[in-house]
Parts: sequence; structure tokens; C-alpha cells
Amino acid sequence: MRLVLAILVGKLIAFLTKLFKIGGGSAAPGLYALKIYPNLVEKLAAQIPQTVIITGTNGKTTTSKMLSSFAKNANLNVLRNPTGSNLERGVASALISHSNFLAEIKNIDLAIWELDEAAFNNIAIKLDPQIIVFLNIFRDQLDRYGEIDSVLKNWSKTLESLPKSTIIFTNGDDQNTLKLSKNFTGLSFKFGVKDYKIVGEAIKKQFEQENLDFEAKNIKQQGLNGLSFDLSINHQTSTIHLPVPGIYHIYDALAALAVGYQLNLNVSEMIKSLKTYQPAFGRFEKFSLTPQGWEAKSQNMEGYIFLIKNPAGATQVFQTIAKEIKSNDHLLLALNDNLADGTDVSWIWDSQFELLTNTTTFVCSGTRARDLAVRLKYAGVALDNIKIEADLKHAFKLAKKDLAGRLFILSTYTAMLELQKILANSGVKKNYWEGV
Amino acid sequence: MNLTVGYLYGDCMNIYGDTGNIICLTKRAQWRGIEVKVKNLSIGDKLKSKEVDVFFFGGGQDLAQNEVALDLQTTSKGKVIKAEVERGVPLLSICGGYQLLGYYYQPQNGPKLPGIELFPVFTQASSERMIGNIIINSQFGELVGFENHSGKTFLKKQATPLGKVVKGFGNNGEDKTEGCIYKNAIGCYMHGSLLPKNPALADWLIQRALEVKYQKPIELNYLNDSLEKQAHESVVSRFG
Repeated sequence: MRLVLAILVGKLIAFLTKLFKIGGGSAAPGLYALKIYPNLVEKLAAQIPQTVIITGTNGKTTTSKMLSSFAKNANLNVLRNPTGSNLERGVASALISHSNFLAEIKNIDLAIWELDEAAFNNIAIKLDPQIIVFLNIFRDQLDRYGEIDSVLKNWSKTLESLPKSTIIFTNGDDQNTLKLSKNFTGLSFKFGVKDYKIVGEAIKKQFEQENLDFEAKNIKQQGLNGLSFDLSINHQTSTIHLPVPGIYHIYDALAALAVGYQLNLNVSEMIKSLKTYQPAFGRFEKFSLTPQGWEAKSQNMEGYIFLIKNPAGATQVFQTIAKEIKSNDHLLLALNDNLADGTDVSWIWDSQFELLTNTTTFVCSGTRARDLAVRLKYAGVALDNIKIEADLKHAFKLAKKDLAGRLFILSTYTAMLELQKILANSGVKKNYWEGV
Repeated sequence: MNLTVGYLYGDCMNIYGDTGNIICLTKRAQWRGIEVKVKNLSIGDKLKSKEVDVFFFGGGQDLAQNEVALDLQTTSKGKVIKAEVERGVPLLSICGGYQLLGYYYQPQNGPKLPGIELFPVFTQASSERMIGNIIINSQFGELVGFENHSGKTFLKKQATPLGKVVKGFGNNGEDKTEGCIYKNAIGCYMHGSLLPKNPALADWLIQRALEVKYQKPIELNYLNDSLEKQAHESVVSRFG
């Protein structure tokens, strides 16, 4: 009875937040429902036939989005938690929204949960997963997640507490996740990229490697247009095209394909759908902006948006775009230090901004715009090429000014939310909660 | 002129962006026409007197910290570092590095990690995490950084703190002191990275290093630090 009441309250709050447009409604319903019925997540999750958990520092959202689109193409009903709401309350909110008023979840075939490094330990057991994906571990928001060693230790402990029938997929090029699979007694599969290894913050070429169960070979990068690679599944080799660049996206695609294969999804259908993959929020989103009337410009402005949040992710983005940036392109960098961004901005000093020094126009923005400007100066950027405008709206205007090429936006999480709204108001992007 | 920066355990003690301090020392010297070499001094490496002109020692993960503590003793690097500091060689250590240069670090369970007794301080693990932006007043003026530690460091009677906490926790969150200074060696909890937002301190380290190396008074050329000052001020106005 209490469970039914909890769901009723959760649904009511979700309805009200939507009605009054107070954000995406991804936390509050779960928060209050859990107060009424603390075991809500276990009760509801147990009704879902297949559950996959995806954890790791970088690539969770992309992997989960890819896997979800594979499953949807196969006519499965999929439940996913929205980006950024991976605390228990966010998980509860997602479950509530798919439950009927009798606390029954009837129409879901597959749940895909992305859980961050810390949330994984708190929630994994409640979700009763059959499959877990460990993407990688990098330094990230040390104020929240702690050090890499302790993340790994806690993951191992959590894994030990799960049923032996759990199947794990680990990144075989990451020494840390590799350790997990070596110590795991159940069924485990490794994915990775031939001749690559993750060393420190960067993905580097290396020629000694683990035996991989899902191995990408013959990587061909096609600038900002994407890349292709070969993959053998079940003795059949296919070429896979991804419309997004960056070696790091290959790992996400491999993880999604491997899990899809485990779930008996059709391999060639999955590969076909990757061709038209639409990037997740801020993960290499493209936009084009028609200039407003008062701007006397004929052509559309084009640009790309990247979420940067830790040294590894940022450096990988830099590596990807560095070769592509031309002298008439502008770069808008936004660094906020709110809780969701990480309050410590030290990580910018571990990120290789030195890779971007070909750029001629930088606009630094966000609450810590000046820290960014100093970082650029010490990366070797000429002072004349650095503009500072803490206010994001003004910074966006400044970045558009005299733009003859493309606009690259690199931003931390909360600044990204604001920038997406600014873009939306200029007529380009959807608000973030309209689609996952 | 040239300068060798000794990066103590740079390969395993470099979390929280402490590498920014190396970048800062290097650039500020290079901008003045001083050649810079960065030498990583890792586990097992030997260190000789006069091999390094200025030391940097950052923070690390707990596991790395144990190995490093042992290495400081077994390779006699600890002894050499102490003798070099006595000679006036400047040193900057942060967080884990600072703790290992004190008398000891007492974890919550397990035996004490011995330090090399350069700074008259000792550190005790606590269950409280001291996190946030930190501002202190010091002989180098106002310094800003970001601290993230659970170890509480206490100064012995003869110790001189680096500064007085204006905002934040400092050494232990109790006595308003932050860091320790002995001769030209500094230990503190300030990440951020520290030097890029506090360029006067960076220049002091460079100047001292050159003076000891070339045995004459050195005056560094002026650099325009307006960006650095803005970054410094923005921390003070947001959190001060």
C-alpha cells in the first residue's frame, strides 16, 4: 500500500514539475517517493526482464544511447535513466514514470542504467542486473569520486556482492578495468581497439595487448565526419561506420555492440543503425544557426558542441578536433565550478590545452573564465587571441562576432545546460529534457 | 642561464592538477630567456647534490604514497633533499608531498608512514574531508588555491607556518595555520594549480633557485601578469 502511495506521489510531482516547467523532473519525484517507500527501486526493478548497467568515467551516455537505439530498432521497449540523474532518486524517478498506479511495470523489456563511479556501488545490487559494462576509470571530480585506486576497490567489492551469474564487459585497453575482469570468477568479455592502450589521460598507440573478445581493427579516421573500423563478431567481419570522430567513441560503440550481441540482437541491424547515430547531449553535437535578421550574413553558422568534464575526456576531445581546426574557426570555452561540474578546477592543468594552440580566437567564459585564460596563456596561446567574457550569453555573442568559419563550443556540465538554452533561444537546439 | 626542475615522483604523484606548477615554473623561466629542464625523479632513481635547482613534490593516491614514503628512505633521496634544502635550494611540496616531508603520517589504521623530517610537522588521518577554495595571507602576499585532504597536519613548536587562513581549512581546520616554510622550502595543501594564480611565489622559487645556483643576487625581468591577477582576484571575489 505504501508503495502505491509512493508511486502516486512521485507521479504527481513529475506531473507538476512538467506543468510548471521546473526543470526536467528527473530528481524530485524519486526523492519524495523514496522517503515514503525506501525499497521502491528493488521492488520496481525486479519486474524488468533484462537489466544492463553501464558505468565508468567517460562514455556512459553515448554507450547507453547506442544500446538503447539497437534495442528499440528490434522493437524492444527500453527504459533508460536520463543523463546526469544517476543518483538513486533519478533511478527511482525513471522507474516511477514507467510504472502504473498499482506499482507494476509491464511493458518494459530492457532497462539500461548509466551509473557513475560512486552511484554504481550504492545502486547496482538493487537493480539486479544481468549485464554490467565497465568502460574505463579516469581521474574525475576527486572531490566526489575519490582516487582511482579507491574507485577500483569499491567496484570489486560491489561485484563480489552480486550473483555469480552476472556477466561483465570490460575495456581491455584500460589497465584498471582489466584488473576487474581478471579477478572476476563469472563470465567476462573484453573489448578494445587493436594496437591502442589507455595510458594516463590519453589513448595511445601500443603494440602489446591483451586478447580481446571484441576487437576493433583497421581504424580509418575521416576528420570531423567520423570514422570506420572493422569488427569480427561470431567469425564474421564487418566494417562499421560511426558518424562521430574520436577513438574514444569506438570504445562506446564496441561496448554497445558487444552487449547487444549478448542480448541476441541482430548484428547487421545494429551496425546499420550506427551509421545514422545521433550524438547524445553535448557529445559532439553539430548545430547550424540561421543568422537573425539584424546580422547581415548570408551563410549559416555551423558549429560543434562538446562536453568536457575531466582531463581524460577533455584531452580526447582536443586530440579529435586539433587537426580539424582552421584559422577562421572560433573556440568558445566555458568553465563553471558548480557542484555538478566539480568545484575544483585544477583538472584543467592536467588537460592538454597545448594541443589547441593553432586556434586563433578563443573566448573564455563561465564562472572560472579567468582560470581558463591563464591555462591558455601557459599552454602557449598568444594573449591577443584570448578573450574573456564570464557571462555565457555575452560570450556566445562575442564568439559569433566576425566568425567566418565554424564555432567549436567546449563546456563543463552546468555551463552546457545554459549554453543549450542560449542556443535554443537563438533558434537551434531543443531544450535538454525534451529527448534522451 | 639555465634551471633544472626536479619533479619528485611526477609519474605517480600528480593528481589534482599539480603539474600546472611545473608548467608555470617552466614558462615563467623561459619567458625570461632562462633554459629549463624538467627531471622526473621516480621510484628507484638516485639523486645527487647539485643535480636539481628547484624541487617540486605533488600529491598522490594513497597507494602511491606508501611506495614513495619507502623510496625516500631506501634510495637516500630523502637525505639528499634535506641537505639540498639546507644549502638553500628551493622546494615546493603540496598535500601528499608535504606530508611525506614532515615527521610522519599516521593513517587511520595501519602503521605510521615515516617522513624525512624536513618540516617540523606531523600529520594524522581524519574522517573529515577538507575540501574547497582556500585563501591565506603569507609573506608572499595573499595566496589562493583549492584544498582537498583528510589528513590533519600539526606544526611542532619550532615550525613556521606558510601563512594564516583567511578562508578554508588549512593545515588542520583548527588552528588557522596553513602550510609550513623552512629556509626556501614550502609545504602546503594548496592545489589549484597554486603557482599560476600566485605568480609572485613562482618567481620567488625561480629567483632563489638561480641565486643558489649562480651564487649571486638575481633580479628577474618583469612579466605582465594581468591575466594571472584577474584569475587570482576572481577566486577572492567569489569565495573570499
